[in-house]
Amino acid sequence: MSYALSTLWYERQRYMPAVLAVAFSCLLIALQCGLLLGLFSITSIPIDESRADIWVGHPAVPSVDLGMPIPEAWQSYLALPEVERTEPYMEGFAYWKKPTGGMELVLVIGTRLGPDSIGAIKQLTPELRTLLSEPSSIVIDEGEFARLGIDKVGDTAEIINKRVRVVGTVKGLRSLAGPYLFCSLDTARKILNPPPGQCTFILAKCHKKSDAPKVVAHLREFPKKLSPFTTEEFSTHSQLHWLFKTKAGIALGLAAALGLLVGAVVTSTTLHAATVASLKEYAVLRALGIPRWRMAMMVISQAFLVGLSGIIVSLPVIFGIAYLGNVVAKVMLPPELLGGAFAITMTMAMCSGLFALRSLRHVEPVTLLR
Amino acid sequence: MIATMTMQDLGMPAVAPTTTPTMKAEGITRSFGSGDTKIFALRDVSLELYPGQITLLMGPSGSGKSTLLAVLSGLLHPDTGSVTIQNQDLWAMTERQREAFRLQHFGFVFQGYNLFPALTARDQLEMILRWGNGASARDAREKTDEMLDILGLSKRAHLRPLQLSGGEKQRVAIGRALIKQPGFVFADEPTAALDWKHGQHVIELLRAAAHDQASTILVVAHDSRIIPFVDRVLLLEDGVLFEGPEKPGELFNANPVQTGY
Repeated sequence: MSYALSTLWYERQRYMPAVLAVAFSCLLIALQCGLLLGLFSITSIPIDESRADIWVGHPAVPSVDLGMPIPEAWQSYLALPEVERTEPYMEGFAYWKKPTGGMELVLVIGTRLGPDSIGAIKQLTPELRTLLSEPSSIVIDEGEFARLGIDKVGDTAEIINKRVRVVGTVKGLRSLAGPYLFCSLDTARKILNPPPGQCTFILAKCHKKSDAPKVVAHLREFPKKLSPFTTEEFSTHSQLHWLFKTKAGIALGLAAALGLLVGAVVTSTTLHAATVASLKEYAVLRALGIPRWRMAMMVISQAFLVGLSGIIVSLPVIFGIAYLGNVVAKVMLPPELLGGAFAITMTMAMCSGLFALRSLRHVEPVTLLR
Repeated sequence: MIATMTMQDLGMPAVAPTTTPTMKAEGITRSFGSGDTKIFALRDVSLELYPGQITLLMGPSGSGKSTLLAVLSGLLHPDTGSVTIQNQDLWAMTERQREAFRLQHFGFVFQGYNLFPALTARDQLEMILRWGNGASARDAREKTDEMLDILGLSKRAHLRPLQLSGGEKQRVAIGRALIKQPGFVFADEPTAALDWKHGQHVIELLRAAAHDQASTILVVAHDSRIIPFVDRVLLLEDGVLFEGPEKPGELFNANPVQTGY
């Protein structure tokens, strides 16, 4: 390894393109996946910001924002010792008629508003909940005014010929698709007009959160086909639905794959050229009987060091761009994602090294004799 | 420095040349091409090399010197013939066996220095012991420093090839060939790129290895000034080998120009 390190440092100008290519690959993978994760975490905001431990929906529910009506009476299935209480949750898409003209698809979310509410998002303060208890009151994210064609709190608009009034705002809850409108259960029912006795989800709070998986497992055994999830499961389920169902995931994934390919080609070419440049030196070693695998290890070590250097170079850039990116979008970089990006990049670098080994086939000591 | 140090300083006794050959080549023929373009580089060459001797192989360009060196050192397969060392036919071995044999017994010096540009003089030598003999870092360092001392390069050990003179680079290359104390050293034009002062140092180092370490050394060279320093001269012309004069020094003193090489 020390000979490989000496070579890499001494001939750093030669290896620089490979290091930069690896850094570029690592950067693309980490940021694309971070952006993807950030993007799709938006789809599970109503789940992540609630206090529920268990979500029960229609058997065919693909995502939290695509709920279907279920009987409120299903709450009886949750009458279990581990469950503290349950409540219905209303949700559905509707068209918002902008006062300025035009329509906007919105997601109406109706929950109970009391202090013990399970479904109400954590950002709803007691003051906002009091205001929402007024019929036809809604709360929106402070960044959605322009999208909804209104200017300020207190403005009104129509949803399916029903007038609603914005009574307050929350922060950081902008949606991926239609803007979220948070309101009471009654307001949601008034807007969405579901069949009598129906809701979209049933939420449950356990005495101990750790009991949630056990309760969910129990519910899955019911002959009645419920679709129960723990909060974490439903959050992931919703994100994965959007990840695989939308073209955005494929596009970002392809961009990351392209970055990986560019990195692999440049790294492999650089290592190959560096090995070819030292063919005579390797030929002397071969003449002296040094086994070929020693030279192969030298090339592989160089590949490893190029990979490591590229990852180290990419780190400050990743965090810098992610910091800037969070101003306009959400970039999430959990340790698992970064670890995965590093592992993929390093694997790419090592594979490039293996590919460059073909140059060692040209090492022929007899060519040194003139 | 070079004059005061010998291989005996490495703990190896000086061994007088013996009459038992260490290498025996018989009926070596090697051709290149085929059909009308077939050329014979070596024609039925037989020879014996002895321990403790430095043998000079001379001949005009294209006479087959390098081909013979390559065949004797296990780098180029002959068409016919055998090369026997320690009762083993080099060309009856598998490639892997021959590689292991070269590792154990052979050292090489080539005309080009072929040193890794990024590695120091010390690294170039240590690498052979660590990669070839599996020596520990400490052992490799000790032996390398001893060899660098013999080569007169102790104070240049930390320098890379670009910082060394041509003579110093060739001394490092010789150190690389001798560091594992091989029984045989093959040198192809080791002085060709050097002025005579440095060339003389190089040939003295090889001579010391032969006489003090009992190594069998075969040098291919054009330079007739080397003749007084060798024990034996072989002449090759059109692939046919001739034994040189019994006392090479007399050949040089009598009429060096007329050797024609």
